[in-house]
Amino acid sequence: MNDAASDMQLPHGAILLDRRELSPDTALFRVAPEASSLRALSRFTPGQFIQLSVPGAGEIPISPADLPGADGTLELCVRRVGHVTELLHAAKPGQRLGLRGPFGTGFPIREMVGSPVLLLAGGLGIAPLRSLLYHLLRHRDDFGEVTLMYGARQPELMLFREELVGLAAKGELRLYLTVDFAPQEPAGNFSCAVGLLPDLLKGFSFDAGRSYAAICGPPALYRCLVGDLEGAGVEARRILISLERRMRCGIGRCCHCAVGQKLCCTDGPVFRLSDLEQIPEAL
Amino acid sequence: MENVFLKNSHLGAFLETLRLFGELHGPTISDNGVAAFAALDDAAALRLDYRRTLIPPKKYLLPFREEILQLRDGIYHAAAPPGRDIVLFGVHPCDLEGIAYLDRVFLGDRPDPCYAARRARLTLVGISCEPDDFCFCSAPPEAAPCDLYLSALDDGFLTRPSTPKGEAIARAAHDLLTEAAPASAGPCRTACRIRPQDPQLRFSDNPLWDRFAQLCLACGACSVCCPTCYCFDVREYPNLAGDGVRLREWDNCLFKTHGEVAGANFRATRLERLRYRFLHKYCGFSPLEGVVSCVGCGRCRSACPVDIDLRELIETGKNPGGEPA
Repeated sequence: MNDAASDMQLPHGAILLDRRELSPDTALFRVAPEASSLRALSRFTPGQFIQLSVPGAGEIPISPADLPGADGTLELCVRRVGHVTELLHAAKPGQRLGLRGPFGTGFPIREMVGSPVLLLAGGLGIAPLRSLLYHLLRHRDDFGEVTLMYGARQPELMLFREELVGLAAKGELRLYLTVDFAPQEPAGNFSCAVGLLPDLLKGFSFDAGRSYAAICGPPALYRCLVGDLEGAGVEARRILISLERRMRCGIGRCCHCAVGQKLCCTDGPVFRLSDLEQIPEAL
Repeated sequence: MENVFLKNSHLGAFLETLRLFGELHGPTISDNGVAAFAALDDAAALRLDYRRTLIPPKKYLLPFREEILQLRDGIYHAAAPPGRDIVLFGVHPCDLEGIAYLDRVFLGDRPDPCYAARRARLTLVGISCEPDDFCFCSAPPEAAPCDLYLSALDDGFLTRPSTPKGEAIARAAHDLLTEAAPASAGPCRTACRIRPQDPQLRFSDNPLWDRFAQLCLACGACSVCCPTCYCFDVREYPNLAGDGVRLREWDNCLFKTHGEVAGANFRATRLERLRYRFLHKYCGFSPLEGVVSCVGCGRCRSACPVDIDLRELIETGKNPGGEPA
């Protein structure tokens, strides 16, 4: 391996272990990094991202859907939406991939200790929040009540549904699911609310003054939710937002991901609402 | 080392001495009449009376397209360290300031290996200049960051080495240089050095914003010719054997694709893209927040086909309702 400086743009090796279909266009890929990545990955904080290379296709930023396993195995939730993800979805187990990172600033998990946490996910935004959720659940006694509100367009696009329902059934978290549209659900499937996340939030009572709220989803979701959260009494510095930008280099050079004067790849992707309030174009 | 003096009659021999330190490049006029930094195979091609080259010297450090990785058998390898020894002669203070800014971006806490390799092999010989109507730099020329700086006088050049490399050149050219009195700092040429701007100025109700947005062709010329615009895209090109290369190439914040993400675009309008450029040039991005990267070379003003000058926003901001200062 070269020196530390060139490490920044040189991907380490990784092997695709397997995949699990989550929806018609989204799958969960398990990836085993080579030993050279393990030290960096051991410092992974939920909300950070890695740069995944599919050889010959290119590189994409992905926020892992869980903390790295003890052997470094990563779970990456990826929607088939462009050139690189198309080729990733076509890849077979054993395929060689590339990995850089983790990069960026994740959720302030140390500071959140002792507080109730409300997770708000829209669509694919569940992926980064799932790694935060599992961090909270693995250190269950360190945190207050954990609530997940998750909205998807329609039932079959809801990711990790059985898994989340199972966790809720064990009493590990309060779970609220909602879909924008609900065509006829076959009888026997569990039911969930029909409506948008802000509707769920309206009827929800929680200890807003002590809570942290973590949001990840499409831009429209942030714009709807932050006002309601602040109205409910959550402090702006405790409203944590994971932003999406087109991060190319991941190390603050290429300038595609600027959010105001901040760079999403180094200052973010997780920002406090209080740091974004002077940046009208952030949300 | 003290100042020394290079007589005009010795310039040719001095250029030959510079060749000992690397391939000699300098300002030339291309066949189609464009001022450009290019190899001086024949020193007679040197044009020291140039105002500004169309493309700034950043091309020596950040080539338009550059291989950063090679893909062989599914494994990425760092590209071979690029660069060769080049002596770039006749660089104006504004362009030297531009390189100093790029150094801060690419040689900061995590040096970029490709940039660092090229930079280490680039020797900069600066030269004083005569500003024209497009120029608005104000860096005191004697502070221009380079290895060796020449201040043009009537009969020659006051020559000041300021790095070990520059001193090595002065030693090698010892026979061509004569003693000179210590230079007095020349007067600062202009007074309009731009201070860091308030980021909120990009949302001001200044009508210039809408006027510029309506005029702007999103051609990106201002960014291409800017000595401190460095943003890049990363692309991967496979070959039929299954190997390939990963390249980085200049990108342009005036282009619509620059702000794209899956399913959205954060800078879909020209107004948003002009504001983005303003923010980067005059307010600075983290970690260089508050650092102005405009060096006053005047290239963007001279290259813009519709005469947009973002600086007007700053000037009318200082003097609301008045004519640009």
